[in-house]
Amino acid sequence: MTKKKHIAIIGGGIAGLEAGSVLTRQGYKVTIIEKENKTGGLLNHWSSLFPDFSLPGEVLARIQPENPDLTLIHNTCIESIKKENGRFELFDKRHLKLYADALLLATGLSVFDASLKEEYGYGLFINVITSSDFERIHKAGQKLLTAQGDPPKRVAIIHCVGSRDAKVGNGYCSKVCCITGVKQAIAISRMLPECEVFNFYMDLRLYGSKYDALYLEAQKRHQIQFIRGRLSEVSENQDQSLQLKAEDTLQGRPLRMQADMILLLTGLEAARQNENLCKNNHLELDENRFFKSENMQYHRNCSRQEGIFMAGSCICPMSVNETLDSARSAAIEVDNYLTQKER
Amino acid sequence: MKMVVQQLADDVRLKEGMNACMNCGICTAVCPAAEYFEYDPRSIVVAVQSGNEEKIQQLLTSDTIWMCGQCMSCKTRCPRSNCPGIIINVLRKVSQATGAFVQSRLGRQQYLIMKTIGANLLRYGYCIHPSAVDIQNHPEQGPVWEWVYSNREEVYERLGANLDREGPGAMRKIATNDLLELAVIFEQSGGTVLWQSIETHSKNKAIELGLVDSQGNPCMDLYTNYLLNEDPEF
Amino acid sequence: MKTLNSDNQQLFDKEIAGDDYYYLRSCIRQNFFPGAEKVFLDILTQKLGRKIIDDEHHTTCSGIGYHTDIVPFDTFQAIIARQFALMKEKGAVNAVVSCITSFGGYHEVLETWKEFPEEKRKAQENLKKATGRDFDVPKNIAHACDIIYKYRHEIARLAPYKLVNTHTGEPLRVVDHVGCHYAKIFPDKAVGGAEKTTVLTAMIEAWGGQPVNYPERRHCCGFGFRHYLVKPNRSYSISNARKKFESMQPYRPDLILTNCPGCNMFLDRWQYALAQIEGKTYSDDKNGIPVLSYEELAGLLLGYDPWHIGLQMHQVDLEPLLKRMGIAYSAEAKYRNAKGIPMTPPKFTGCLE
Ligand SMILES: Cc1cc2nc3c(=O)[nH]c(=O)nc-3n(C[C@H](O)[C@H](O)[C@H](O)COP(=O)(O)OP(=O)(O)OC[C@H]3O[C@@H](n4cnc5c(N)ncnc54)[C@H](O)[C@@H]3O)c2cc1C
Ligand code: SF4
Ligand code: SF4
Ligand code: SF4
Repeated sequence: MTKKKHIAIIGGGIAGLEAGSVLTRQGYKVTIIEKENKTGGLLNHWSSLFPDFSLPGEVLARIQPENPDLTLIHNTCIESIKKENGRFELFDKRHLKLYADALLLATGLSVFDASLKEEYGYGLFINVITSSDFERIHKAGQKLLTAQGDPPKRVAIIHCVGSRDAKVGNGYCSKVCCITGVKQAIAISRMLPECEVFNFYMDLRLYGSKYDALYLEAQKRHQIQFIRGRLSEVSENQDQSLQLKAEDTLQGRPLRMQADMILLLTGLEAARQNENLCKNNHLELDENRFFKSENMQYHRNCSRQEGIFMAGSCICPMSVNETLDSARSAAIEVDNYLTQKER
Repeated sequence: MKMVVQQLADDVRLKEGMNACMNCGICTAVCPAAEYFEYDPRSIVVAVQSGNEEKIQQLLTSDTIWMCGQCMSCKTRCPRSNCPGIIINVLRKVSQATGAFVQSRLGRQQYLIMKTIGANLLRYGYCIHPSAVDIQNHPEQGPVWEWVYSNREEVYERLGANLDREGPGAMRKIATNDLLELAVIFEQSGGTVLWQSIETHSKNKAIELGLVDSQGNPCMDLYTNYLLNEDPEF
Repeated sequence: MKTLNSDNQQLFDKEIAGDDYYYLRSCIRQNFFPGAEKVFLDILTQKLGRKIIDDEHHTTCSGIGYHTDIVPFDTFQAIIARQFALMKEKGAVNAVVSCITSFGGYHEVLETWKEFPEEKRKAQENLKKATGRDFDVPKNIAHACDIIYKYRHEIARLAPYKLVNTHTGEPLRVVDHVGCHYAKIFPDKAVGGAEKTTVLTAMIEAWGGQPVNYPERRHCCGFGFRHYLVKPNRSYSISNARKKFESMQPYRPDLILTNCPGCNMFLDRWQYALAQIEGKTYSDDKNGIPVLSYEELAGLLLGYDPWHIGLQMHQVDLEPLLKRMGIAYSAEAKYRNAKGIPMTPPKFTGCLE
């Protein structure tokens, strides 16, 4: 038997891990390179998952691949890729790292820096938090408290922060923040039944199966109020509570509201290193800075560089189940490529 | 006559001020006019975007387009880089060019502005002159302004201004030749045409309202008085 | 147009020319606070040793007419082009604009010319035909407050006074109001951008005071152009100004600092008008919250006589602030003419008798 082909996967989030485990089971040698000291990606930080409130730990436990043909390298950030003699060479900060016959990108997402949306006062007003902050608080088993240490009586959840916004250079929809907003509204309501929760949205994009049921539950069981209007400005009152200005567009009237806390549903951006990875090869980014597919419909997992494939949310923002589906279909594409090359 | 939709599109500022609106309401949320009036910059953008001749005609004859205070707070925030305040400028321009403005109470006030700010501009070379801020019309200016107004020669002199005199400095008299240049610029670049349109349509409106002298000519003093005392309809 | 993302944050560090300026006067400033523009020019030339041309041939930019829509955009562009032509004739490339409406207007025209060169050609043609003049676009356009901001530390070094309560040693609490057209139309043309405009707060800090934020900081003063200028519409202006006062009152500010001639006047006068209507003030006394522009404040700190820089033209008295700051002044010199002869004073000053 010939020597096993070697596949390098950049990024050890759930996409990289799932693809890695499928590919080793198919008989390949796989190396996953992860820049953090831990695999699992963003899921490490989340408390429970929409739409069923299952635990991220359960997902991670299922896909932690155990296989002698799989190597995990931590604390290594891949900065560039070169194709040389039909093989790929991966580098981190100038040192040659490893060779591979095929390459799978699973670099995932980075969360929009909410302080860039200056009018919302993140980093300036102490009672403005982000969805990621909330997940961390929730995961640590803490109650949501204002900076003054009181349970908030009113929380406003703000949709589309850093998404669908030419001002911050992100014209696209981040797709999973609407449903995250519904999930977090319910979580707050369960945690603090007395607390009023308002969601300020422009369009509720609850595209997934069971997402609308969660919306219904939020309204019926938890009295979450949904206001159609995008937040324009946050200011801090003397007692550090917050004033927000939006339009209730269904009424056509401007609306000033006082809230104890504001939770920003920050958008999702592509990983920052992606741009570097496109040098010295034919990889391309799309207009939203995610990796561009060879074909949007038919070859979503194939990049513009032969031999390099993509899995999960480095293609576009995705939920966990979509990410896993994407990882498995990427594995099929990689396998097809390597078997065809063989022949 | 060109369709109004086309007249709007002919102004570059429409390209500058309008991309495509997604109805988010961010502009209305911070609009001081929306807080004060029944006014919603979002729906104005949507109406202009619709390109619907009838809807736009309606805007041109309405009080609505005259409610904007031109603060441009909407410009800073729009996630689609629209600027409702600039779209308003274009609507107002067409409303004045077509005469639609005299059909609304707030629109008719353009006559008053032309006769004050406009007149100041060409007469003094400034939009505002101390002698034009009289105390009857400006009670809010208070007793200190009353004192300044009544002693303006002395007050401005003490503060090193050059009120109504030749040479450089604050409130100086602008040389005849410089004023003439302003007037010719007005003539050359469409300012005069606009004023003629405001004047003609206002006169016709005065006649329509029966504000005429014994010969049946429009009496613009009566009209001015009428405008200053017109009751809001809402 | 530029957008706000992490890469162009530094754009908010706008470039401000350091010397050789050309002054573009403000209709409202010279009308209501002529002493403020006098002291600005004096600080620049006498204290900071910079050169500035005060050209008698320039006129209004017609911005108030433009925003009340009685001056067409083409005319506005041509009038601005004329100011640029005068600059060119004097060999000046750094414009200093005293008015906020003008500042927004100059930038609106320049941005339009960048995006639509045919508009610039039209302005060139209109100007040429009307006046025979040619123009160049200035190298730098700064608002007068940008210049004071640029030299704030130098001013602090030269200043005998500070924004400090000399009785308690505490910094004075200062709220700022930034004129809408300074930052809202083109955030990258404003020091600190539109949301966290720092042009005034940096001065307050450099001069020993404490900048105080308040919820309606970014709200318009209420001028509203046609709403103030047409008497029956004026309640729009006052009701917006009221929102700001209500919002700042709980913070008990010692001073309102402004960068716009109009705002400076409105925030002063509307306090008086509101007191007359409502019988109350937004300060702990009958006077109201003192209002100063950056030039007036810089002048005071540098030791200029308050009555030489025109503080007697304010309705809300500055004396309580002067006392707190330990600035000596002569009460009886307040209402004298240029020859030193006493004048009959106003009926009353402050907000309530
Ligand atoms: C606040 C919030 C809540 C969410 N809640 C849910 C939920 O409840 N349910 C749900 O279905 N989805 C949820 N999501 C979405 C979910 O996080 C994503 O579906 C999931 O993280 C995608 O996995 P991934 O592997 O594609 O990317 P990631 O999780 O981003 O993993 C990518 C990995 O690649 C690594 N990496 C990147 N670049 C390099 C490089 N150059 N070299 C080496 N390593 C690199 C990163 O360190 C990271 O570990 C939520 C998202 C947010 C923002
Ligand atoms: S998913 Fe919802 S919150 Fe997120 S960008 Fe799209 S519309 Fe906005
Ligand atoms: S802010 Fe912009 S996109 Fe939103 S409603 Fe106003 S004009 Fe439309
Ligand atoms: S410019 Fe006009 S529409 Fe825009 S916020 Fe100001 S008042 Fe409202």
